[in-house]
Amino acid sequence: MPHMDAAYRFARWLARTGEGADDVVQEAVLRAYRGFDGLRGSDAKAWLLTIVRNCHLTALKQHQRRAQVPLPEEHDPLDGDALIATTPDPESESIRQDEERTLERLVAGLPEEHRAILILREVEDMDYRAIAAVVNVPLGTVMSRLARARAALKRRWQSQIEGAPRVVP
Amino acid sequence: MSCPEAPLVQAYSDGEVDALAAHTIERHMEQCSECRALYQDLLQLRTALRRDLPYFETPPALRAKVMRALDAQDGGGRRWRSPSFWLGAWSGLGTAVAAAALAYFLWLPPLTSPMVDELLGAHVGSLMSSHLVDVVSTDKHTVKPWFAGRADVSPLVVDFESEGYKLLGGRVDYLLHQRAAVLVFRHGAHVINLFSWDAGARFFPSQVTRDGYHLVFWRAGDLEYCVVSDTAQDELLGLVRLMQGAAARDPS
Repeated sequence: MPHMDAAYRFARWLARTGEGADDVVQEAVLRAYRGFDGLRGSDAKAWLLTIVRNCHLTALKQHQRRAQVPLPEEHDPLDGDALIATTPDPESESIRQDEERTLERLVAGLPEEHRAILILREVEDMDYRAIAAVVNVPLGTVMSRLARARAALKRRWQSQIEGAPRVVP
Repeated sequence: MSCPEAPLVQAYSDGEVDALAAHTIERHMEQCSECRALYQDLLQLRTALRRDLPYFETPPALRAKVMRALDAQDGGGRRWRSPSFWLGAWSGLGTAVAAAALAYFLWLPPLTSPMVDELLGAHVGSLMSSHLVDVVSTDKHTVKPWFAGRADVSPLVVDFESEGYKLLGGRVDYLLHQRAAVLVFRHGAHVINLFSWDAGARFFPSQVTRDGYHLVFWRAGDLEYCVVSDTAQDELLGLVRLMQGAAARDPS
């Protein structure tokens, strides 16, 4: 069931927590089900991911209204992990794990409008037209946001790898 | 500071330009070190993202929860049996049915989905129940007359055991508002259902793949045929070719 997995992956990257993604996916699939007749084009995946994103935005708004404070965009659920000492693996493996965690954290830290587009392009392998449909912006905006997201990610990634001292046990 | 061609380099790296534009950009990158570096950066970033980002998968508990929620929504108005029936009766096999049920609305354009859904539902149902065959026979001279009076059509019945498709028997399913004749074959570890019904004037796709099940449709005379199985597409097409060859030799 590839679309269900795509919906979950996208929701997971949007919500940035497993629990948040669960709620978003469930709501999105139900909405998709109720709105089955709304699908006229052939791209069912883009259609479902559009609904996923709308559900995510709705959930975000509700959360903000309840909390009366906006959820900070740079909020990082993985910050805690970075301080936990890793078991002494072989050096290269340790570096690889650090990189993985770094990239995941950096992507999670991108603003939503950049993160969504980057994930759709690089993880879901969707073309510009489908991405534009999912996030509801013109094609040119997809391209400019993608360029900004990539530039920002690369900048932060390089400074992480070269700059910060590594945490050692 | 930034080369005006940079957006095109990105589009090129994303496979969004045609061959002519790609050629132009490649020529440009030979001249422009900035765009060359950008292109390398884009490739490097993509490699790192695809290698290092976690590839999240739907937790099974969520999948089950979604199915239950869908089921609660379903007023029972659908023609094939609701997921709750299968989930209740065959809880261990729930995932396959969940897949088939979700595919019902996620997969296909509305034009063809009810029909594909019926066929896939009939196939999955036949594997779950003891109702795989109504008449157990590898003899076409037993199976073909058995359909008379039971099914609305009299399909070609052939056993291809020597080619690896062993005829297990026949069955009648109520499909597409008629009593469709079903031949059941075994191919290796896989069961293949071969449905046949009066074609009419409806539109059918030639091949559909859904959740690992392949469906291949073809028409012979005034009958529509469809084979459904989780065997490889090529193996399924092998049976289709044998059936078409047999039909050409014996147009009874």
